[in-house]
Parts: sequence; structure tokens; C-alpha cells
Amino acid sequence: MATTTAAITLTSADLLTDALSLSATNTLYKAGTTIGLDQTTGMARAYLTSTSAIDLFPAIIEDGTNLRTFNGTSSWVYICNKSEDETEYITVKICEQVIGKLYAGDFLWMPWSQPADVTNAANHHGDITIAPSVATGMWVDWTCINEGTEYHTENLVIA
Amino acid sequence: MAISASISLTSAAGDLTSNALTLSSVTSLTKAGTSTALAQTTGLARKTTSAAAAGNIQATYLFRGDDATTNGANKVYLKNTSSTSAEYYTVHVDQEELGRLYAGDWAFFPWNAAAGSKAYFTLTIAGSWVSGDTWEFDGVKATATNATESDFCAIIDSTNYPNWTTDYAAGETTIVFHARQSGGLTQSTAVTADGTKSSSSGTAVISSAHAGTTKSESDISVRPSVHTDMTIEYALFYQ
Repeated sequence: MATTTAAITLTSADLLTDALSLSATNTLYKAGTTIGLDQTTGMARAYLTSTSAIDLFPAIIEDGTNLRTFNGTSSWVYICNKSEDETEYITVKICEQVIGKLYAGDFLWMPWSQPADVTNAANHHGDITIAPSVATGMWVDWTCINEGTEYHTENLVIA
Repeated sequence: MAISASISLTSAAGDLTSNALTLSSVTSLTKAGTSTALAQTTGLARKTTSAAAAGNIQATYLFRGDDATTNGANKVYLKNTSSTSAEYYTVHVDQEELGRLYAGDWAFFPWNAAAGSKAYFTLTIAGSWVSGDTWEFDGVKATATNATESDFCAIIDSTNYPNWTTDYAAGETTIVFHARQSGGLTQSTAVTADGTKSSSSGTAVISSAHAGTTKSESDISVRPSVHTDMTIEYALFYQ
């Protein structure tokens, strides 16, 4: 069984009266099981030179023939803004809902249900998008570790 | 002041992929667009959720859009402390589902804390108020101690309203009320009632009332998968 471990540590000597030292570690399992996740999109690194929002992973399309195969399965997303300019950020969205902004050096680690969109138009189903704040070039890393990615068949025509 | 957040993702060679995965990243949590450290936190909280039956399961709201600076570099930490592998919390930002936190899972992500618009109105104290007269609003009763309108305004202003805050300048006879949270029950009906006044000739007129027309667009909620006890840990670091 594939064993992938995610760990976080949050520390501060001076945020509170007492030191903050929080850590958590978990093994990535398939939904509702103790079977390790065994698929990944691999680590991507891109130099983005447009402020347009982009899909990080293949768009989740519901057109009658390509349903959301992995909806509700276990997927974990890592995104890191590798910029070193503290004013530069990327805006992260899901289903066109803004989650938040990752400033220089910031990362996120979050579960992803590849869900249906409840508020927006068709074909925005659960997509995770990022939009750089500047068009002068920003490095961004991302990966997804999951139970499967819905890769499109070639020459897919969306109704 | 500094807060450090580090993440590591590891998998041995031949597990997830042929080569070992060893990813680590460290960042300092700073305010948006600056190198100034975030200085506020809710602290690490723990909440146990339960319901009488599966049909009674409700989402628990952990953070409201009004709780932090909109578009700030706010960060959220969540962890499902359950040890039963099938149990999970579904995490939502507003109405959109992010994903599920199964037993032992944690998440750390930015939060833009987009607030909506809050209801407000102006209260004018006039006429002849006497000691012992009262004005009740939001379940709280303020009692006049003399016949001076501005003194009664000061008393109303110093009263703690659970769902409203007040703005008042000394000597004035008007008070502006602001809702604590965005939106409202209807998001279209402004407060127009006088509250409950107990005075023979004093008046407490509400004017310039505006409804909270837009709800928060980024409240963070979690919905447990079972009605039996589950516990979530959560913290917010914010501007």
C-alpha cells in the first residue's frame, strides 16, 4: 500500500503569551478507508505571465458523457506561491468561489471533493483555479494526490 | 512577532511514485502585501458536534466573513480528530464544498473573509423622557435615569446589544446602530420598528434604516458525516 504522509507545524514564540507549537501529521487514505492514496498528478511548476485565472487540473465536465467520476473521493491539493515579492499573490478559487490569496511563499493544503458547483453556470464544477496578481511572471508549484483524476478523452467536444 | 508554518509531504520510493516524494515548504504568516507578521488569532479551538439523529445533522459555522479583514492574508487550520476512518467533516466556503476531512486529516488554507453589507439605522431620542422610562431593542432594555435626552442616549449607547453595535457622540440625541453580522434574515427588510418604548411622551424614532442587503460570501462551515460525537479542531490567524 502506498503510504504518503502530510505534516504541518505552526510555531510562534511571540504571537501569544505562551509559545505556539502546533503540529499534525496524517496519512493520506482513500475516502473512508485505511487504504493509501496511490495516484498523483505529479508536482507541477509553472511560470505564469498572465493575470487570467487558470484551471490547475483537468476541468471537471458534466456534459452527459463525462460525469464527475471522482466526485466525493479523496483528493488533496498543494499549492505554493514561489514568488519572493511580498506584494505578489495568487487568488485561489473553487467553483469560482474565492477561497483566499496566497502571498509570496504561502502554501495551502486542502481536501478537494471535485464537487458539483451549486451557484454558478455549468462546466465550472469544482474546478480549482488560480490567478496571479501580476503579469510580470510568477512561479507557482502545485500537485494533487488522489484516488484518480478525470482526464479527458481526446478531441472532447463539450455540449 | 512571527508565525512560522511548515509543511512536509513524504512518500518512500516505490510507494506513491517510483522515486521518493520529499516536499517541504516553510513560510512566515504575514499581512497582505507586507512583511509584517499576522498578529491576531482565535487560538486553537475544539468543538464536538452531535445531533439527535442523522436527520438532524447541521453544519457548524466556524468563521464568519465579518471575523477578519476582507482580502487579508488570513489563514485557516482545521483538523478532524476522529479516529474512525469512515467519519468525515465536509468543509464549505460559503455554499461551495471544498472537500472532506476524514479521521485525522488536517487542512491549512488562505481565507479572503469576504463580508457582505450590514444593516444600520439611526435612533433619535426626543420628547419628554423621565427617570424610569425604558426603550427595549434586541432583547435588551435601557432605562432613563433623568429627563435629559442625551443622557438617555449615552445609556443606550453603553448597553450591550447581542446583534448590534452603536455609534454615539457625547451630547447628541441620535445613535447609529450597526448590525454585527452581514446580511440579515431577509436581506431586504430594514429595521423600522421603534423597539419597545415605555414612556408617556418620549419618542424613539428610527430613521435612515438600511437592510443588510448582502450576506457574507465566505463563511467557513463544516458538516459532520454522522450524528454521533465528532470533534474538530480549528484556528484562524488573521489581520
